[in-house]
Amino acid sequence: MDAFLEFATGPLFRLTFAIMILGLVRILVLDLIGMFEAYRRAGDKTIPWKLTLSRTLEWVFPVKRVISHRPVYSVIAILFHIGLLVTPIFLFAHVQLWRDGLGFGWWTLSPGLADTLTLATIALGVLLFLGRVGSRDARSLSRKQDYLWPLVLIVPFITGYVCANLGVSPALYRLSMLVHVLSGELIFVLIPFTKIAHCVLMPLSQLVSTLAWKFPARVDEDVCTTLNKEGAPV
Amino acid sequence: MNRVHVVKAILWALVGLSLAVAINRFAFGLGATTNLTDATPWGLWIGFDVMAGVALAAGGFVITAIFYVMRRKEFHPMVRPAVLTAFLGYVAVVFSLMVDLGLPWNIWHMIIFWNPHSPLFEVGWCVMLYTSVLLLEFSPVPLESSSRYAKIRDFLMKFRFPLVLLGIMLSTLHQSSLGSLFLIMPFKLHPLWYTPLLPILFFISAVGLGLMMVSLENLVSSWIYKRPPETHLVAKLGKAAVWVLSIFLIVRFVDLAITGKLALMVEGTWEGFLFIAEILIMAVIPILLFAVPKTRNSLAGQWTGSFLVVFGAIFNRVNVGGLTMLSTSGDSYFPSWMELSISLGIVSFMVLVFLFAIEKFNIWENRPTEEESDPHASPHFSRAGEVWLGAPAVAGRTRYSFAFVVALAIGFALIPGKKIRSGGVADVPTVAARGGDTLFVDGNRDGYGVAFKHQFHEDTLGREQSCVLCHHMNMPQDKNSGCFHCHRQMYVAADAFRHEWHGSPSGANVACSECHADNMNRTATSAKTCESCHTDLVVPGATVTVEQYLAPAYTDAMHAMCIGCHREVAAEKPEKEAIVLCANCHSSAGPEYLRADVLERLKRTEFNHVVLPGLSLEQVE
Repeated sequence: MDAFLEFATGPLFRLTFAIMILGLVRILVLDLIGMFEAYRRAGDKTIPWKLTLSRTLEWVFPVKRVISHRPVYSVIAILFHIGLLVTPIFLFAHVQLWRDGLGFGWWTLSPGLADTLTLATIALGVLLFLGRVGSRDARSLSRKQDYLWPLVLIVPFITGYVCANLGVSPALYRLSMLVHVLSGELIFVLIPFTKIAHCVLMPLSQLVSTLAWKFPARVDEDVCTTLNKEGAPV
Repeated sequence: MNRVHVVKAILWALVGLSLAVAINRFAFGLGATTNLTDATPWGLWIGFDVMAGVALAAGGFVITAIFYVMRRKEFHPMVRPAVLTAFLGYVAVVFSLMVDLGLPWNIWHMIIFWNPHSPLFEVGWCVMLYTSVLLLEFSPVPLESSSRYAKIRDFLMKFRFPLVLLGIMLSTLHQSSLGSLFLIMPFKLHPLWYTPLLPILFFISAVGLGLMMVSLENLVSSWIYKRPPETHLVAKLGKAAVWVLSIFLIVRFVDLAITGKLALMVEGTWEGFLFIAEILIMAVIPILLFAVPKTRNSLAGQWTGSFLVVFGAIFNRVNVGGLTMLSTSGDSYFPSWMELSISLGIVSFMVLVFLFAIEKFNIWENRPTEEESDPHASPHFSRAGEVWLGAPAVAGRTRYSFAFVVALAIGFALIPGKKIRSGGVADVPTVAARGGDTLFVDGNRDGYGVAFKHQFHEDTLGREQSCVLCHHMNMPQDKNSGCFHCHRQMYVAADAFRHEWHGSPSGANVACSECHADNMNRTATSAKTCESCHTDLVVPGATVTVEQYLAPAYTDAMHAMCIGCHREVAAEKPEKEAIVLCANCHSSAGPEYLRADVLERLKRTEFNHVVLPGLSLEQVE
């Protein structure tokens, strides 16, 4: 068990963390290349920068949107995101690990706040899953990964809470620590290849869709030529 | 996935892995990345990347010589790929050198601070000049795709012939000067490889290798793009290679026979085995294969033959570049996986550039119809990921970046966490070495050493001139010159008589007949004894008797003459039993600047700091 744990926190952690960071950089770069190519081919080169920017900001800080559309679901989703990001990044024990590895750390949560956030995130994750299962509209839009993600994401929170707060036997502690580490690493690996990639792609989504609705130059003429209707209005 | 995709994905993965290692190397240094040591400072990167890399680039000058100088027009389809391979080969050498050099940021020193005595200076300039020449020689090819650069292209085309000649000249110099590099280490290189003919052997083998490298590259790139290889041209190159390799064999073996080293290959040593393997792979088997017209014209024969020559020549350069020095230096070295991945990564990157050039420019007479470059091809669908990969070009980009990123991450995971924090080598206390008074000499950094009167040695051995006496000793097969190289009388018996001094005008100037009777052979036994002249040689009542004129070594004299009496006294007088303890004579104290723990060890009486030479009396005389 100890050897497993050592491997999981050593080479496996470096591998999965590197895959996450590099994978995210990769999709960001691929996306940017695709965008520039689309822009180069586009017939209409104007981009409504102001509108795109404001829409992007609206999505990144969705205060206005929340009230107008499915407010309960949206609030749950936002709080879930906060717990998901803030808890692992600012947890004292995690920052201590970074301090050992990198030589520097950052501001940390108080133990009480960390526990509250952990439990809240677990509860919110379960609620999100139930919401997806319960709503017919959401079901029709969902893929397999949409159901799995809330459940996968709360696994490290549950095991982390067990390790930090419950007085379990050493064997159970190590087992839950192993599950904690491995589930975290599974999430790392999956991030760049699943819908969680929106963590870097989201700021671009408005711009990409703006560009996607521009046709390549002279494409209308090509369509007419293919249809044997040269010169006809499109 | 088709063949091109698989090959490119593998190459990208190798590049990704080596990038992780390169980051480690530049962030934490050679110690954290390689298995090299001070005793073995040259390893895989010199042996394979540089020595073999330069040799593999030989195709450039060989083919341009055949085409432009010998005017064999039929080789036209091979000229552009050969020049491109040579250029990429040299760029790979430059990359490897930057990775291998301890202080790569000082590389420009070579241009400003000339050191014409150093073979490395010549090698460095040759690499620099030839790479530039190859760039100029090749650049018209990519420039022809755009009319914007037509003027530059026309200008370069005017100088094509002089450039080609310059290239041939420079690589002739350079291929052989890599051999000259090893002329300065006659005691390190195994005798089967060391010969004053090394530069010539390097050049001849480079010509043979150049022919076969172009052939192999033709076969491989044809295989990747599924196009018929130019078998008739490869067969002609094979025929030429038979001649070149035969000349190589003759020169190699005649040289070994004349210098009397031929028997070394059958002595059963692993160097002998390496030698036989090298000769068979590089020359004998390929000559046999290409000498027969049937195998020479067959695809299988060409693949086997050209691969063997290329492999064998790389093997040869690795042997010369370090492998056969290991047994003489007594060091063991095997490249770490990180060194291997850097080598593979650089080669892979160059192959990718080669494939890129083949697809984008007119390297071949017909550019390969790669489906990725076809804008009308249908989009790709990945079954495994259940995603659309988009148009073929996008699909390629997606796949290669995936391979690259995953390999890079694996690289980061594999680099051991402990080694990643390299603090460099600990400071050795050489306080004011130049003109310093007393130094603590601790060659293997284990805390055991001797206090060494540096200033005293400098003063008594000729001040400024004295440095070279110790620092540039260059003893054959030397690793650390010990004190005993000068202070032999400490450990080996010395001639107490000084025959030459007695006979020389500046000494006693004694005529031969003074000691040796005229009618007898002049040997030690027929000579007069010392006492007949030196009546006061042995003082009355002395315990030492003169039996032979060999003064015992200082340590032997001390131990043999002193310890016996001291033992007796110690046995008789219980209150003085400490009199035989070693520390009574071997009391030592280090210089005051030593660390406390080192000083403490120095005071111990185990005498680990006394290094006895492993020389017998005969060897010294």
